[in-house]
Amino acid sequence: MSDAATTRPMPVGRKVLLTANLPAGWGTASLVAGAWLLLVLASAVHRADFLSYQTLLAVAFTMAIVGVLAVAQALVGMSGAILDLSQPTALTLAGAVVCQLLGMGWPIPIVLVAGILVGAAWGLFNATIIVVGKLNPIIVTLATNFIGTAVMFLIFQHIQAPIASPVVAWGQGNFLGLPNIWWPMVALVLIVGFLLPRTAYGRHAIAVGGSRFAAQARGISLKKTRFAIFISSGAIVGLASIMFAASNGPFAPSAGTTFQLPVIAGVILAGVSLAGGRGSIWLILLSVGFLSTVPTSLVFFGLSSNWQAVFQGFILIVAVSIDGWRARRLQR
Amino acid sequence: MSLKLKLPTIIAGAAIVTSMLAMSVGLIGAASAAPFKLGMAIGGEPSQDWQKAQGEVAAALAKQRGWEYVELSNNADPAVTTKNADIFIQDKVNAVIEFNGSPAVNPVIAAKFAAAKIPEVTYDIAQKGFYFVGIDNQAAGLAGGEALGNIAKTKWNCDVDLVISSEGQGAGIVNTWRTGGMRDGIKKVCPDIPADKWVSMEGGGQVAVALPAGRDLLAAHPDAKKILVVGINDSSVLGVLQAAEQLGRADNIIGWGQDGSFITGPNVDPHLAGSVFYFLEGYAVYALRDVIDPIAAGNAPPVKDDPGNPASKVQPCPVSAAAAAKIPDMAGRVTALLAAPKGTTEYDLFCPKA
Repeated sequence: MSDAATTRPMPVGRKVLLTANLPAGWGTASLVAGAWLLLVLASAVHRADFLSYQTLLAVAFTMAIVGVLAVAQALVGMSGAILDLSQPTALTLAGAVVCQLLGMGWPIPIVLVAGILVGAAWGLFNATIIVVGKLNPIIVTLATNFIGTAVMFLIFQHIQAPIASPVVAWGQGNFLGLPNIWWPMVALVLIVGFLLPRTAYGRHAIAVGGSRFAAQARGISLKKTRFAIFISSGAIVGLASIMFAASNGPFAPSAGTTFQLPVIAGVILAGVSLAGGRGSIWLILLSVGFLSTVPTSLVFFGLSSNWQAVFQGFILIVAVSIDGWRARRLQR
Repeated sequence: MSLKLKLPTIIAGAAIVTSMLAMSVGLIGAASAAPFKLGMAIGGEPSQDWQKAQGEVAAALAKQRGWEYVELSNNADPAVTTKNADIFIQDKVNAVIEFNGSPAVNPVIAAKFAAAKIPEVTYDIAQKGFYFVGIDNQAAGLAGGEALGNIAKTKWNCDVDLVISSEGQGAGIVNTWRTGGMRDGIKKVCPDIPADKWVSMEGGGQVAVALPAGRDLLAAHPDAKKILVVGINDSSVLGVLQAAEQLGRADNIIGWGQDGSFITGPNVDPHLAGSVFYFLEGYAVYALRDVIDPIAAGNAPPVKDDPGNPASKVQPCPVSAAAAAKIPDMAGRVTALLAAPKGTTEYDLFCPKA
């Protein structure tokens, strides 16, 4: 099967690179920031106590893991691999390793590195199948997600980090009034957003996502880029898994699926094109912030948490429509 | 003397000898009755390790009795569940035990087994014509709620700011019985908690769902300090307790779970005051003792398919966190159960006596 996302005709590499820069994202940024502000204002008008420290904490906790996963997902999307649907498995697999090693009393630095390495290894596994088999990444990651979750179920039903572990204390704690796990997310978004257009790695990823043929003509290896993207994206999921293990308590192998919808919605809402070659990592802070505020607002409006998926699904459809509209406009 | 036999004669002779042999084998077989054959369809939901253990216990008890045992997994899938019924019928089992988490296909299965005259035991989910063996979920809810209500009465004189129900609506009536039963149990001890203090959220039966929902709910009740949490299972309650921890409000929150999944072992949440054990893995003791053994002995009991008047009632066991520390994990419980005298239940072995 050929990779449909990377074989479509696209503009030349220079144009692709230009559209990856911030100016193209200002429209999206204003739109998302406006929607977020409107949501906060509407909630505050409905109930003044919405503007409380408790709300801030709740939203920040929700943002943390979703934001990190969204950065990983955005890298995959920008590189033209559409989506990595195996993130839920990578998250719980690496999280399970972190829990297991913590339970065995391994030194914390080694455990943290192990979590990131397991995520990276999962990315390598995906990339190997995609590159060697020349298969569509979205289909491969859909399949590996099922396989991975099923295999984990054969091994364990629930796992959790020891509650006495300093990692768990860190995962529940705050720094400067915001959750400890929120800060690595912000740092990651800022660093990756800064480095992506300024490093060969980032430029290659965007170029391959924009036009595989134009990128190859410029001597960029599709295979190497794909390996690099999936491994680094997997490593970032490994980072998310540490935050997940530290803050979630006991979890089943399927627990990661709860993040899938908000992560994909967050990436698309941030203007990352599913067709590849375009998007801003920094905007993830806005999109994930907005999406993480939605469920909290719903509760303040007295709606049940079942409405959360309805709203997120609706936002996803709107975001995909905007993405399609943008792609058509670019092709004209 | 030479004996000359022609080919047709030889074939005819061989046929006669073979027929006689076959008849004698058949007669011998008829004389020694075929062993009783028990079919067991486990639930097959991978995240529920007790479902697998239900099969292990049934297999061990069948082996103790010298029965044949056939196990299939429903894979938590209605189509597989229906197909399994056909396989049991083709395999001519004498009775079937089933945990079927897809009750919509129960009428179809019931019609198949009725036509094949195979008696069936159902665990926890009632179906007309099936022997019902299971927990009284409402009693389990009431027991847990009363236990939590007693803690609230002792600690706060029932003056609580919020009672959170972490529902699992996917479980349908079971959620109503358990979570609603817990609310009723609290009301029994603390009847004067105002109606506006009772709130519900969807916990989905897992921490990963209940945790963010719990954060949002607690944020929407910023002034609530003394909080009680009930839910369909331990996971859904734990999610809310974790949320309170993250929002810095865990000082005065107390939860009581259902199913006993997270009340034993080294990682018990300090705010989870207790849980209600059903000892799900050991249901086969009840099923065999009260239904299958009499059927195997030729004295089939009358079919009791009403959870209110079951063929065998599993007793719920409310256990405080302190008492739960003395209860072994599931593997240990299964080992002890299989070593116990015939008919002994896990409730007999492990439920702390007041």
